[in-house]
Amino acid sequence: MSALKKPGLLLASLILLLALLAVAAPGLLATQNPLEGVATQKLLGPSAQHWFGTDHLGRDLYSRVIYGARLSVAAAALAVVIGVLVGAAVGLLAGAIGGVVDFVIMRVVDVLIAVPGILLALIVVATLGFGPWSVAIGVGLGAAGAFARVMRSQVLRVRNEEYVEAAGALGVRRGTVLVTHVLPNAARPVISMAALELGTAILSVSALSFLGFGPQPPAPEWGSLVAAGREFVATSMWLSVLPGAVIVAVVLSVNRIAHQLGASK
Amino acid sequence: MESAGASLANRARSALIFVAPKVLQFVFVIWATYTLTFLLIHFLPGDPVLAALSLKGGDATTTDPAALEKLRAQYGLDGSLFEQYFRHLGGVLSGDLGVSISTGQQVSTMIARVIPHSASIAVLALVMGIALAVLVTYLAFITRSTWVRQTLLQIPPLGVAIPAFLTGLVLIGVFSFGLGWFPSSGTRSPLSVWLPSITLALPVGAIFFQVFSAAVFEAAGGAYVFTAVAKGLSPRAIFTRHVLRNSMLASITILGLQIGYLAGGTAVVETVFSRDGIGRMTVNAVLARDVNVITGVVIVVAVVYSLVNLVVDVLYGLIDPRTRPSLGRAKGSSPKSPTTTSTPAAADSLVASDDASAERTSA
Amino acid sequence: MSQTPSPEPSGTLLSVTDLHIDYVTGGETFHAVRGVSFSVPRGGIVAIVGESGSGKSTISASLIRRLSTGGRITGGRIEFDGTDLASAGERFLRSVRGARIGFVPQDPSNSLNPLMKIGEQIAEPLRLHQKLSTTAAAARAVEILAEVGIPDPGARAQQYPHQLSGGQRQRVLIGMAWACNPELVIADEPTSALDVTVQAQVLDRMERLAKERNTAVLLVTHDLAVAADRADRIVVMQAGRIVEQGIAREVLANPTHEYTQRLVAAAPGLNSQRLGPRVTTGKVSGSSLFAERPTSPQQGPILEAKDLVKTFALRTPGAPATTLTAVGNVSFSVPRGKTVSIVGESGSGKTTTARIAARIAEADSGTVHFDGEDITTLKGEKLRQLRRRIQVVYQNPFGSLDPRMSIEKIITEPLRAFKIGNRAGQAAAARELLDCVQLSPGLANRRPGQLSGGQRQRVAIARALALGPEMIVLDEPVSALDVSVQEQILQLLVDLQAQFNLSYLFISHDLGVIRQVSDEIVVMRFGKVIEAGTAAEVLNNPQQDYTRELLASIPGQLAVR
Repeated sequence: MSALKKPGLLLASLILLLALLAVAAPGLLATQNPLEGVATQKLLGPSAQHWFGTDHLGRDLYSRVIYGARLSVAAAALAVVIGVLVGAAVGLLAGAIGGVVDFVIMRVVDVLIAVPGILLALIVVATLGFGPWSVAIGVGLGAAGAFARVMRSQVLRVRNEEYVEAAGALGVRRGTVLVTHVLPNAARPVISMAALELGTAILSVSALSFLGFGPQPPAPEWGSLVAAGREFVATSMWLSVLPGAVIVAVVLSVNRIAHQLGASK
Repeated sequence: MESAGASLANRARSALIFVAPKVLQFVFVIWATYTLTFLLIHFLPGDPVLAALSLKGGDATTTDPAALEKLRAQYGLDGSLFEQYFRHLGGVLSGDLGVSISTGQQVSTMIARVIPHSASIAVLALVMGIALAVLVTYLAFITRSTWVRQTLLQIPPLGVAIPAFLTGLVLIGVFSFGLGWFPSSGTRSPLSVWLPSITLALPVGAIFFQVFSAAVFEAAGGAYVFTAVAKGLSPRAIFTRHVLRNSMLASITILGLQIGYLAGGTAVVETVFSRDGIGRMTVNAVLARDVNVITGVVIVVAVVYSLVNLVVDVLYGLIDPRTRPSLGRAKGSSPKSPTTTSTPAAADSLVASDDASAERTSA
Repeated sequence: MSQTPSPEPSGTLLSVTDLHIDYVTGGETFHAVRGVSFSVPRGGIVAIVGESGSGKSTISASLIRRLSTGGRITGGRIEFDGTDLASAGERFLRSVRGARIGFVPQDPSNSLNPLMKIGEQIAEPLRLHQKLSTTAAAARAVEILAEVGIPDPGARAQQYPHQLSGGQRQRVLIGMAWACNPELVIADEPTSALDVTVQAQVLDRMERLAKERNTAVLLVTHDLAVAADRADRIVVMQAGRIVEQGIAREVLANPTHEYTQRLVAAAPGLNSQRLGPRVTTGKVSGSSLFAERPTSPQQGPILEAKDLVKTFALRTPGAPATTLTAVGNVSFSVPRGKTVSIVGESGSGKTTTARIAARIAEADSGTVHFDGEDITTLKGEKLRQLRRRIQVVYQNPFGSLDPRMSIEKIITEPLRAFKIGNRAGQAAAARELLDCVQLSPGLANRRPGQLSGGQRQRVAIARALALGPEMIVLDEPVSALDVSVQEQILQLLVDLQAQFNLSYLFISHDLGVIRQVSDEIVVMRFGKVIEAGTAAEVLNNPQQDYTRELLASIPGQLAVR
């Protein structure tokens, strides 16, 4: 079938499926308890017994990565949902109403975009306190500005399309035009952008966790796993590299599928 | 149309009309950034002041309201929100960013001390990233093999998907601990800038590449490149003489966003490499819940971001003759509406006479 | 021109033999050119004529081996002065391009580098091929600008493309193509983006250069009339194959292939009849669509516009705002059941006038009366109710239909808006309307993207008919379509007018098209009405120079004369 012609896409779907399984039922994939280690088996290299090796407390790293998926992916997904909902609502409002309202809203959006997403997230984290959910809210807020801008420009683009003017000339009411023509045609680019944003959000969430603002130990999370391995870079590099590689694989898969969604209209 | 006397005054006037709104916008962004930060800090649930003080004081933190109020006053966090907002705004406008809760130092002094460290790696990363992006695009443009082109174009997007902390750790593992070529941390050695810069250059270059190569290959399929090919120019000449400038024009607008990315990226990279810098300072401030420092950093970043955008805007105007303010000659036709093209249409009818008379009589 | 004996063919310059070109996109192969053979003699002008998708532009690009992505020559020879370009090396090709084969591209607005001065762009091939020094090339570039008829060439050379008009840019491109005195110039639709009067001048200039320098020209065009005016030989293409070729006048006088016959019959410049309805008038074909139409007892004009004025504020960054009068004191009226056409070139204000008349745009001053009622300031629900009586058909059938809706949904949208009929009744109306515009009811479930341009425009017309209007404003309804399709749509409009007693306000830049449908003609220029009258008066006895110029610019007359 068509999926077989694109091996990259097939692989990406497979990886994403595994990641989702790890989120939904980590027990099915994990081989050991992620929180309990065997002190005698610390800092072992990857082996058949411990696929990703063990950390300084002798915990199985592979199982920790599997269990870490829930916090990492869920927090990123929440961030995207927040970003899309807030951004799309604001953008639709600005684009549909126009005039002074549009101007004021978009200046606020300008500022949201001017402050780098990660700094915005840091402000939120500093105020709300640490943890995966404040990280998610912070990252989501940082993405909302871009969504608002795209949504608004899409609404404006579609509003200027001839078929929208034609609908007006046919005698269709303005509210009906907004619902039947503008919204469906404007939404698609925002949706494919949201898919792409999920990859970015996974990176941002793991970066903030890496810095220590995410879930607090011993809860496993991909970014904090990389951070934990940092002290042993000179001797046991796999402790950082393997969780990092998982992040890369998942982000690449998400991006690949998002591009596919964007391409097949 | 052109009178020599009025031309200079006109020039000055159009330059002013061109620049004034951009400067105004600059001031606005900084004010609005301050306001947004203030609102976020004070309206999200949680009392950062209390949190910061308890982090600082540990268990010995006072809960006595009077003593707390004294501490609040010391860090400029007393009074109603309204008072605080305007007191700080006045400070921001005069360059006073307040006192750090965790260190007791002036925030502006702290930032001024670390900014050169961050600026050096950020600028180096930007230069390397852009150079890399242009080089890969150039190679993909001139190669005749579709396979080589496809491969070259597939590589850079990887740079966006690899987290900076992973790149940094791998670089440390290989080049510091493995080969011993570069120091793994610190700011003292001049060699210390390289690994952090390379770490940042990869994602920065990848982001730039996506915009730049898209512009290049869109132009490659476009009409003016076809004209250049039809002239007999070589691919290299087409790239350097025609495509490069046009594609740069389309890409430099994302420089502002790159600055934003770099500001976030330094936080991670400076932590990984244990370097002094604005990013690491921010991380420490967040760990200490030190809102004064965070606000200060955000404002400084907004200033840099706005400055870069201002420069990009002016550059854009200088490079692109179409957006250049029309100096004296009002000839710029806007393609917005079919009804606004009366000037060129008139120009066509002016040249009409010579041809029409010459040719029709000969027929 | 074609009546002068063609220069003695001193041998063949270009000879294309059994050329095959494929495009591969997304794993699918499309045979764009399927075994094409023709030749161009030294100093001769050969025209390739075909509609969109015929493969004519693919051939022109293949001659300099610059096909767009996915294109590949899969067979045949392109012999240019003895060398096969189809198999020549890239280095050799570069020495031919610009030096021995010049190229005039289709789209003057995008074919020049927007960031490079005009003079520099012309100097480029001179330095490359003739090895001129920078100063010599710059001086020669100014001379070339003068040769192609650009006034004040010294100053123009220092300007950028956006500062020139479309016609001037095309002259620059012509100058560039001839800069190194090539033996062959390929001109791919060189004037299709230009106004008619400018089109004629640009073609005249090309023809003159070709004569003076004894350059062979391969003219690629969709417009048979243009080819007839300019070429010695005509090659007619359809779907990647040559269906007919020969001496221009013979092909036109006695087209042997059925497709050529259709093209000749359809070319608006070559035939100038007012189309007649093919249905018997008065018989409203038992249609339920127009049953509810209010029959007005009044006999005056259905639409009357008086002293319309519309100005726009022009803003260029850095310059003080100026106002442009798009429409200045325009008055006209549309009699019941007749077609009034407004003709003008770009910037004439014809479209703005039509939009004001249809109450899509607001006039600054002036009045519009519809069926005796002042509709100038109608708003809200009253304006919406007016839409049942005036409808609009747009120029671009690609843009005026929502790409996400099915054809049936599109056609019945106005019925839903006015809550006419139930779901089943609306579906039945959609089938009836499709039948009216001669489309198969099987298309009802398709989406606009799956239809051809002509089919889409029929859908747009069907939608306009849905509410049983008395008047339709047609804004360049056929200018985005191929010539043979144009003819069909015009015929359909004329039929529908007779069938339903419709009044048309018809906007076009093309007098050839206008001539086929109009009862009265209004000529506009720079926002003013230049001349107005019955079609016969304006076309046969024009009072104004500009009208005469417009008429003279219709291609196809040089050949007919």
